[in-house]
Amino acid sequence: MMALRELTQGDKKVPVLHSNNGPALVGLVTIAAHLAQEAKRPELLGGSAEHKALVQQWLEYRLTKVDGCHKDDIKTILKDLNSYLEDKVYLAGNQFTLADTLMYYGIHHIIVDLAIQEKEKHMNVTRWFDHVQHYTGVRHHLPPVVVLRNRVYTSGHH
Amino acid sequence: MEKLVFWEVEYVLFMTDFKKQQLSYTSQKALNWYMVFEVFLKGTLFFPCEPDRGLVRVHELTPEKAGQLIWVRARIHTSRAKGKQCFLVLRQQQFNVQALVAVGERASKQMVKFAANINKESIVDVEAVVKKVEQTIESCSQQDVELHIERIFVVSQAEPRLPLQLEDCVRPEGEGDEVRMRARALGPRTTTSQAIFRLQSRVCQLFRDTLTNKGFVEIQTPKIISAASEGGANVFTVSYFKTSAYLAQSPQLYKQMCICADFDKVFCVGPVFRAEDSNTHRHLTEFVGLDIELAFNYHYHEVIESITDTMVQIFKGLRDKFQTEIQTVGKQYPSEPFKFLEPTLRLEYSEGVAMLREAGVEMGDEEDLSTPNEKLLGRLVKEKYDTDFYVLDKYPLAVRPFYTMPDPNDKKYSNSYDMFMRGEEILSGAQRIHDAQLLTERAMHHNIDLEKIKSYIDSFRYGAPPHGGGGIGLERVCMLYLGLHNVRQTSMFPRDPKRLTP
Repeated sequence: MMALRELTQGDKKVPVLHSNNGPALVGLVTIAAHLAQEAKRPELLGGSAEHKALVQQWLEYRLTKVDGCHKDDIKTILKDLNSYLEDKVYLAGNQFTLADTLMYYGIHHIIVDLAIQEKEKHMNVTRWFDHVQHYTGVRHHLPPVVVLRNRVYTSGHH
Repeated sequence: MEKLVFWEVEYVLFMTDFKKQQLSYTSQKALNWYMVFEVFLKGTLFFPCEPDRGLVRVHELTPEKAGQLIWVRARIHTSRAKGKQCFLVLRQQQFNVQALVAVGERASKQMVKFAANINKESIVDVEAVVKKVEQTIESCSQQDVELHIERIFVVSQAEPRLPLQLEDCVRPEGEGDEVRMRARALGPRTTTSQAIFRLQSRVCQLFRDTLTNKGFVEIQTPKIISAASEGGANVFTVSYFKTSAYLAQSPQLYKQMCICADFDKVFCVGPVFRAEDSNTHRHLTEFVGLDIELAFNYHYHEVIESITDTMVQIFKGLRDKFQTEIQTVGKQYPSEPFKFLEPTLRLEYSEGVAMLREAGVEMGDEEDLSTPNEKLLGRLVKEKYDTDFYVLDKYPLAVRPFYTMPDPNDKKYSNSYDMFMRGEEILSGAQRIHDAQLLTERAMHHNIDLEKIKSYIDSFRYGAPPHGGGGIGLERVCMLYLGLHNVRQTSMFPRDPKRLTP
């Protein structure tokens, strides 16, 4: 039996997972990692030690940089992700991990409001986002973001 | 002031003080070679040689003329003295050529100094030998030749201090724009402006020629009118003796009256006045409207075809005969060449909405297109059909003026259309209601005071043929054809809420 509640820490709200067997777990990443183990899907947290570390790195990025960010930081986040994803299919390693899921949830509200021109500017983020949102069981109730197959804004456009 | 009389040609020549110290009065020959002379007596200009001397145009200076001794009249664009030589760039409208004054048989050191000191923009007469050059002169329009000057005269001197430097005028867009606007006397001299306005002149001519060949009659409509044509909001009021009148926002009413008068197909070219307090890149308070109205036989699509065919003829005419001008503009304002399809692409409004929805835009079926959505749709159409020019047909009735004919098959829509160039609207047109009864109903539906448009409705009571039309703005069409970004660049003397001069 598990129950998910909200706890106020300072000016932030954090999730708390109560379960019958074990202590309450506080924090998004902690809970998500625990659930991944419980569901017998350890591969979502990474394979080798380096891989696990990489997954943790992006989960930390989500918590520290993305959550509660200002409007001005959005550009930086998109730029960082865009240059990182230039030659990668997934955020961590060569498979789908929790990093991809949580980052997807984390930046969904940003991507859904981007104009087509912005989406084309950050082409790699858009490509990765479209890939993740099509995974079964990931999107849930979140509205799908439309991604066009062809470039509409050529490089010389005003 | 010295007076010299050359009996052979019967004129008197005056020397200005400026030149006095540079001339050696002993030699008449030297006198001949470089002089500043003033317009005098009956305002006629006299030259120290045959008045029927031919002047060669700068754009005619090609390697074929190598070795010939010719005369050219042009402006000093730039000059650079280097020891015993002075390099000049002579400019004539869109064309320029390099010229050289070098100390030698024909030129003295004083002459080189004189040439170097002539103020920029002064108009000069130059006698020179055309010489072929080995290395292409990239910076000039005439790249294979240069002039070796033997004689140089100043015809009209420019003041030493210009309100702006013409090189700045041809730099790509930026901070220079405001200064450029103000010094309108100089701005149009730039090669780019010359090209733009020559092209614009051609657009007007192609419009007239194409329509005249189709049997259209050109009409002139009054600009001082008694009632606002498109609604009271954006209209200029003028005092008219003891009452007031308005400046016409469009020739709509008069075009239609001509159709009712059996002129069948009419067009007019004239100013349009819109008192819109819009400070955007594409709005002017006064612009040149090119308007068309025609009666059709069976379907209003005949009107659309007539208009699109005219536009295509204009595009073709520019593409085929005005490449020089297009390239000149492109040097300062690079852009993609304008693409269009034949026959012109025509999409229905609902198709356009579907394309936008596919791209993630949320909008209602009967909602008007916002400017960003228009631009986005233009981009989507360009990507899908590879055309910069298309028609959007069957607009929702709710967003069109009261005189628009509703679609007989679907009450929500109308027989109206907009045309776009590079994603921006250039024409709004429709089939007009030609039945006085229906017109009255629609006017009431729009809560328009019937008294104010009584004469308009009356004109349809005596048998009006079914008709439609539309109007384009000359400046906006030129701006979009050339891929420019501000309509003020295609208006010689632009008018907007903040600009009334020059």
